[in-house]
Amino acid sequence: MNAVRLIGDGVFSMNGREWSLLVACLLAIVIFSVASPHYATSGNAATVLRNSVELLLIGLGMTLLLAMGGIDVSIGIVMGLAAIAIGRVLGADGNPLLAIVVGPLVGALLGCVTAAVVVLGRVPAIVGTLGLLGVYRTAVFVLLGGQWLSGLPSSLTNLLATSVLGVPVPALAIAVAYLAVWLALRRTPYGLHLLAIGNSEEKARLSGIPVIKVRFITFVISGVLTGIAATFYVATYRNVEMTIGSTLALDAIAAVILGGTSILGGRCSLIGTVLGVLLLRILQNGLLLIGVPSLWQPVVTGVLIIGVLGFEAVCNGLPLGRFQRARA
Amino acid sequence: MTEPFLVVRNIAKRFGALTALANVDLEIRSGEVLALLGDNGAGKSTFIKILAGAHPPSDGELVIEGNPVAFSSPKDAAASGIATIFQELALSENLSIAENVFLGRELKRSILGIPFLKRKEMRQRVDGLLKELDAHISDPEAPVGSLSGGQRQAVAICRALNLNARLVIMDEPTAALAVAETRKVLALTRRLAARGCAVVLISHNISEVFEVADRIVVFRRGRKVAERLAAETDHEEVVSLITGAHPDVRALEKTN
Repeated sequence: MNAVRLIGDGVFSMNGREWSLLVACLLAIVIFSVASPHYATSGNAATVLRNSVELLLIGLGMTLLLAMGGIDVSIGIVMGLAAIAIGRVLGADGNPLLAIVVGPLVGALLGCVTAAVVVLGRVPAIVGTLGLLGVYRTAVFVLLGGQWLSGLPSSLTNLLATSVLGVPVPALAIAVAYLAVWLALRRTPYGLHLLAIGNSEEKARLSGIPVIKVRFITFVISGVLTGIAATFYVATYRNVEMTIGSTLALDAIAAVILGGTSILGGRCSLIGTVLGVLLLRILQNGLLLIGVPSLWQPVVTGVLIIGVLGFEAVCNGLPLGRFQRARA
Repeated sequence: MTEPFLVVRNIAKRFGALTALANVDLEIRSGEVLALLGDNGAGKSTFIKILAGAHPPSDGELVIEGNPVAFSSPKDAAASGIATIFQELALSENLSIAENVFLGRELKRSILGIPFLKRKEMRQRVDGLLKELDAHISDPEAPVGSLSGGQRQAVAICRALNLNARLVIMDEPTAALAVAETRKVLALTRRLAARGCAVVLISHNISEVFEVADRIVVFRRGRKVAERLAAETDHEEVVSLITGAHPDVRALEKTN
C-alpha cells in the first residue's frame, strides 16, 4: 500500500533513524578498534554491555515518559535511593530474594511520589522532578551518612550473575522488560492513551481518556524499571557510592532522544532507545580507551543532545519536514 | 411523519442578567439535516452547547424519543446518542484513523487480566465505516496527521457514528476547507442523514445550507425567529430573516 503508515509498530521495526544509529554504532566500533589496541577485545565488549544494563532499563521508562510529554530528571537519584534500600536489606541478612523484591518496590513507591507531585500536584514534570532531584540528593547523602555503602555480601551477585539456558540474567531481564514495555505501548489501550496524551493532553481528555490515571501509572512504571536497574547495579558493584546516578538522567534523556523519541511527546521508538543507549555507552567507553578523561563524558552526552535536537529543529524547519511526520 | 428523535421545549439560557436564549421550541428528526442559521451572537452556539450537554438550560426541557432527559456533562449527552463535532476536531494527529475512531472506547480482549487491543476488529470496523461513508480513505492505518481537513472531518464523523450517535451536531464543518473538500464534507453530511442519523448543521454559508439541509431554522437575538422547509424558501428570504428585514421577524420583534 502506498499510503503513509504509522511506523515503528513491530517489536523491532527499524526506520531511517534506527538504521543510522546502528551504522553509527558500527562506525564508532571500527574507529575505536583502529585507534586503540585494547578496544576490540571480548572483555571490552562485555564491559560495554555490562555498563548498558541500568541505562537500558531506565531508558525504556524514560521513553514512555517522553512519549507522554513528561520527563524525569531525578531518575538517577531515584536509582540511588533504591540501591541504598537494596544495600541495607542485603547488608542486614544477605537474603538475595528479599533484596530482589526491595528494588522494584522502592522504585514503585518513589514513582508514586513523583506522580503525586507532577500529576496530582499539577507541577510541570521538568520542574517537579528537578525539585525532587534536590530533595533526593540530600536524602542520599543523609542516608549514607557521608560514607560509601561497601563490602556488601555476594549473595545477590551470585544470583544475578548466573545464566538461564546460556543467557545471562541481565540480558534476560532486559529482553523481558523490553517486550513488556513494547506490548503495553503498542498493543494495549494504555499505550494508545499515552501517545494521545503526548500529542495533546486536552484532546486526550475530550476523547474520554483517563489522563490522570495514565500519567500516574507511567511514572510508577518508570519507577519500577529504575528499581530493577538498581538491583543490577548493586549486584554488579556491591557498593553504593555518594555520587550514584548523578549522570544517569542526562544519559537516559540523551539516549532516548537519540533514538528518535520526541522531546515534545506523541511519538517514540523503543528499538531507537536501545540503540541510543548502546551508541552512548560505546562512545563513552571508546573515548576512555583512547585516552580521553572520563570527566569529558557528560560533555559528549550534552553535545549529542544539543546536536540531535538542533538537527531535528533544522530538518523540521525545512519545507520538506518529513522528519516529524508519520512517526508515532 | 415519524416521532422526532429530539424535542426541544421552551428552552432558555440566562447568564446572570443576560438572556442568551429564550423560548426555543424545536423538533429534530432522524434522517433529516437541520441547518441552524443566524448572525454572530444569535444564540446558535449556546443552543448546541445545551444539546451537547456542555451547558445546562436555565428553563425548558429536552425530550429524547418521548423521554425527558437532563444532561450534566457532554458524557451524558453522548450516552443519549448525541455527538458533537466541534470546529477544532479533538483528533490525535500521531495516531492512526482506526485508533482515533476508537480512542477512549477501544475494543479489547483480556489475556491474563491484561486488556489487549483487538486491532483487526477495530481496523475492519473502521474500514467498513469509511466505505459506507464513501470517504475516499483507503487505509485506516494512516496517521490522521497525514490527512487533509476534509478527511479529518470524515474521521470525526466516523468516530461519532462508532459511538452509535443518533444525532450528530456539526459546528461549521466546512469553515476551514477548500472548495473540493467542502463538497466532500457536504456529501458526507447527506450520507449521515441517509443512514438514519439526525444531523444539526451550523453554517454561515447560505448556499451551502440550501445544498444539504431539509429544514432551516433561523436564530436572531437569542430567539428562534423562523423555521422553513428548504424547498419552500430561497436565499433572499433567509437573508432577510437573518438580518431582521423580513416582515415576519419585524412583527415578532414588535410584539415582544
